[in-house]
Amino acid sequence: MNALITISVLAVLVLYLGLYKANKALLPVTLLGLAVALFFTINHWNVFTGPTFNDMMSYDNFAVAFSGITITSTMLILLLSKGYFEKISDHVAEYYSIILFSLAGILVMVSYHNMTMLFIGIEIMSVSLYILAGIRKQDFASNEAALKYFLMGAFSTGFLLFGVALIYGAAHSFDLEAIKMHLETNLQTGQAISPLFYTGVVLMAVGMAFKVGAAPFHFWTPDVYEGSPSLITAFMSTVVKTAGFAAFLRLFATCFYPLHDFWMPVILVITIITLFAGNITALYQNNFKRMLAWSSISHAGYMLFAIVSLGSEASYGVFVYAIAYSAASIIAFAGLVLMQANTGSDSFDSFNGLGRKNPFLAFTLTVAMLSLAGIPLTAGFIGKFIMFSNALSSMHTWLVVLAVINAVISIFYYFRVIVAMYFKDAERAELEIPLNFKVVLAISVVATILIGIWPAFLPNVI
Amino acid sequence: MEAQSTAINYLPIIFQILVALGFAVGTMAVTHMIGPKRKTSDKLTPFEAGIKVVGNARQPFSVKYFLVAILFVLFDVEVIFMYPWAVNFRELGSTGMIEMFIFMGTLLLGFFYIIKKKALDWD
Amino acid sequence: MNLLSVLVFSPLVAGLIVLVLPASLQSRYKYVALAATILQVLLSVLVWVRFNPSLGGVNNEHTLQFAEKLSWIQLNVGGDSRLQIDYFLAIDGLSMPFLLLTSLVMFVAVLSSWEITTNLKGYFALFMLLDTAVMGVFTAMDFFLFYLFYELMLLPIYFLIGMWGGVKREYAAIKFFLYTLFGSVFMLLIMVGLYFSVQDPLTGDHTFNMVHMMNPANYVDGSLFAKFSGQLLLGIPARSLAFIVLFVAFAIKVPIVPLHTWLPDAHVEAPTPVSIVLAGILLKVGGYGVIRICYSIFPEAALGYAWWIGLIGVVSIIYGALNALAQRDLKRLVAYSSVSHMGFVLLGIASVTAEGISGAMMQMISHGFLSVMLFFLVGVIYTRVHDREIANFRGLSQLMPQYTFFIMVAFFASLGLPGFSAFIAEAFSLTGAFKSAGVNGLIPRWMALGGSVGILLSAAYLLWTLQRMFFGQLRLSGGEPWRLLLTDVTIREKIALVPLAAMALLLGILPGVVFTQINTSVLDLVKLVNP
Repeated sequence: MNALITISVLAVLVLYLGLYKANKALLPVTLLGLAVALFFTINHWNVFTGPTFNDMMSYDNFAVAFSGITITSTMLILLLSKGYFEKISDHVAEYYSIILFSLAGILVMVSYHNMTMLFIGIEIMSVSLYILAGIRKQDFASNEAALKYFLMGAFSTGFLLFGVALIYGAAHSFDLEAIKMHLETNLQTGQAISPLFYTGVVLMAVGMAFKVGAAPFHFWTPDVYEGSPSLITAFMSTVVKTAGFAAFLRLFATCFYPLHDFWMPVILVITIITLFAGNITALYQNNFKRMLAWSSISHAGYMLFAIVSLGSEASYGVFVYAIAYSAASIIAFAGLVLMQANTGSDSFDSFNGLGRKNPFLAFTLTVAMLSLAGIPLTAGFIGKFIMFSNALSSMHTWLVVLAVINAVISIFYYFRVIVAMYFKDAERAELEIPLNFKVVLAISVVATILIGIWPAFLPNVI
Repeated sequence: MEAQSTAINYLPIIFQILVALGFAVGTMAVTHMIGPKRKTSDKLTPFEAGIKVVGNARQPFSVKYFLVAILFVLFDVEVIFMYPWAVNFRELGSTGMIEMFIFMGTLLLGFFYIIKKKALDWD
Repeated sequence: MNLLSVLVFSPLVAGLIVLVLPASLQSRYKYVALAATILQVLLSVLVWVRFNPSLGGVNNEHTLQFAEKLSWIQLNVGGDSRLQIDYFLAIDGLSMPFLLLTSLVMFVAVLSSWEITTNLKGYFALFMLLDTAVMGVFTAMDFFLFYLFYELMLLPIYFLIGMWGGVKREYAAIKFFLYTLFGSVFMLLIMVGLYFSVQDPLTGDHTFNMVHMMNPANYVDGSLFAKFSGQLLLGIPARSLAFIVLFVAFAIKVPIVPLHTWLPDAHVEAPTPVSIVLAGILLKVGGYGVIRICYSIFPEAALGYAWWIGLIGVVSIIYGALNALAQRDLKRLVAYSSVSHMGFVLLGIASVTAEGISGAMMQMISHGFLSVMLFFLVGVIYTRVHDREIANFRGLSQLMPQYTFFIMVAFFASLGLPGFSAFIAEAFSLTGAFKSAGVNGLIPRWMALGGSVGILLSAAYLLWTLQRMFFGQLRLSGGEPWRLLLTDVTIREKIALVPLAAMALLLGILPGVVFTQINTSVLDLVKLVNP
């Protein structure tokens, strides 16, 4: 709660800092503020007593854990932004504060206890992102991304809202606990659940699948991710995605849980299509950024495992997976930003010979790719391991077999980067890596390897 | 008063809507049909205070109109929130008062921001 | 600190030292690596000496030796299950010989790394990482730990082939990587399935402990892999499916015939030291995995599929040998001979007799030394003239007499001349295969006959090569420059070759050195698989 207030006030503060031309102070103040918010968040660990704000929000450990990841990831991404937004336009302060507003929405998304708060959280986040996607005003791709994102986002919000309305019609409440009680009592007493409710669940699943970019509602993702400025893409594909899954999980694993016989097949199908669509299309990309976009779709598929396998391990699984995925993606995008800034290109070929000229960057990128591919001793492996174990323990054998095949497919495109960096020689100049990039890369790599070797160091969410 | 309203309770409202729509559509249709039609070139040109029409109406105009319009909507809509607050003023008590001040303060910050950003300066 | 931990992690420390040393000391890296491997050889000799051959191990945790068990990952993942992963290193007779083999092969590999000239820091760091991984595989007794080390082997090899390999290195590297990974990801699934089926009898938690997995009493009633639950998985009895999946995963490494195609490519493209490690150790990881995991955990499935495994063994022997006959590239020939020789391992294992399994163990060790020697010798020619087409050389014996001596030792030992280790190994494997029909009826006699044909074929291709390359008039396709380049073996090369030749001879004359060490474990294994 304190974290949410801190971030909201921080956003306004940053806006005013920009107004008074204190551009130098923007980044430090933002980071400091986020650090304070992170501190408040961590302080909230294990002190959950019950929903607050008229049962609107519930800051349980789940919320704290996901707030923690999202705030930390945002800090890392913002650390990369030094000097980045200045190149785009003069409205630097606005960009920071929009990101912060978006983060505020995300905090609401991970801690809602009421459908209205879910909706408000998603909207605060999304509206900010529509703007962020289009901040390169002169760039055609960026405009396209913003418009596409806006249209698709509005569309999916419609689904979501319609779903909420129908569920309200059936259960007479927006409150997650009350809806769950409604389901449980109806199932116990053998009363029929209104068909409105079923329709509502499907519509909400569709809406959430849109938001997290799961197939077949994923088609906006590659264009939006490719068109947006790389740093914003990094934000969207890590922080936003994590938040989306947290919200998804909270809704389905707790609130709609009694009805899982009904929605499980739907989510199963979505998961399988997502895995294949993401992985197979990623194979054919020649552009690093677009490959990352498609790979993020496939990772959405893996994260959906948590919802499929349910159980209390599920949130732990998403938690670990989200950390692993965020850390690796941040490395990948940091590399991408550096590469674009230095060579202006983001094809795989532009990475040729990087291993020789920039051993540190190449090493971190390698670790990131290995982690994304799920090779042992990286965080990605632990994430996948937990996901697969959970799915197997709930007897989704076929699903796991398909996922494993996908994991092998993904090796091809992740290793293309490694092959380019180490196996292909090219005359190239050494990339200049600013200190802030080095710090972010180092933190992410250490986190990735540390979790890979000793996952117990992460707190347990349950 | 009944505790729950059923669909039948809404029937008068539906009638009301039907009648209102019916009246508008009906009168328009009827006048269209029974009125005489004499088409001259003068009659078909758009009326613009007696001056001859110049150029196409569909042309870009300054984005400032939009800006002002959207800001107007923004601040106007906020007033909506004040009505329920005012109605429940007594029940909400001092907490409600403080919350409304925070709300207005935030609005004011926004207002101050747009002034400083010269969003309302025409030139 | 346990001896095994030191053995496993000392190369890693050496690798880190290489990483932090400044680039100006580039020429010293190899000495760091060499020191680490020498230390490792000494340590594994110490293990050998202190090993108690009367303790069987295998499925009895109390008779495992040098055991070290630490709690590693303990996660409360909610519900009733607790993720319990131990850092559990131990050895028994089935793994102990491989420690010495690994350290010796690594020593030779480092010696042959003198030819590497580019990016030395990365090279030796990866090499030491590989060393750690291999040692870890042979000592890990926790399935999860085993899996981690098993996967960890892949990456260094991938980079070593990909960065220091030949022309088609990229293709060879990814082919190798995908083949192995494809097997191992499915292994992961079986591993997780086993985890959910097995309980630690003491704590009641699910466990990855392999020794617990070998005891049917530890399986949760009605769980997926419980022995008598008769659960079906994808239409096949779950335990049979698990056995097949695990077998395929390891058999890719061995390699067996339909899944062997990565091997020639990897060998041809790999630099000599990597070839040495591949042939000398990695193939044995496959055989070791089959014994340690497939056979010990799913014994009844192993018996059920014995005929097929024997068949695969025979096919590998003959197909590999026929392919070797047809090769024009010396290194490819040696690679295919590996396929052929590793077939004996499968044949021996399939017989589930003490002779057969002892023979299989012996064959792995003997092939470890001999294939290393062969690849090293191929590397000697290749570093000198960068060519290894058999047809391009003739009459080398006049030019390089000492080299010819070593190659004759290696060839004769490989083709199973009595007095060398391969003879003992192949004889035992075949005896086991013959005996099987009478004792347990697992594999028919004609398979043993097929294996014998393989020996004949190997004599054919090796002797033919000897005749083509080393005897007759000196004729080199490179002419005079080649004649000057093709100098005889140097001191460094001799240091590497002599111990290998000595081991092959020693094990041929005194096979008891190995057999006494492994006998108890082999008998225990036979009893476990076929009670």
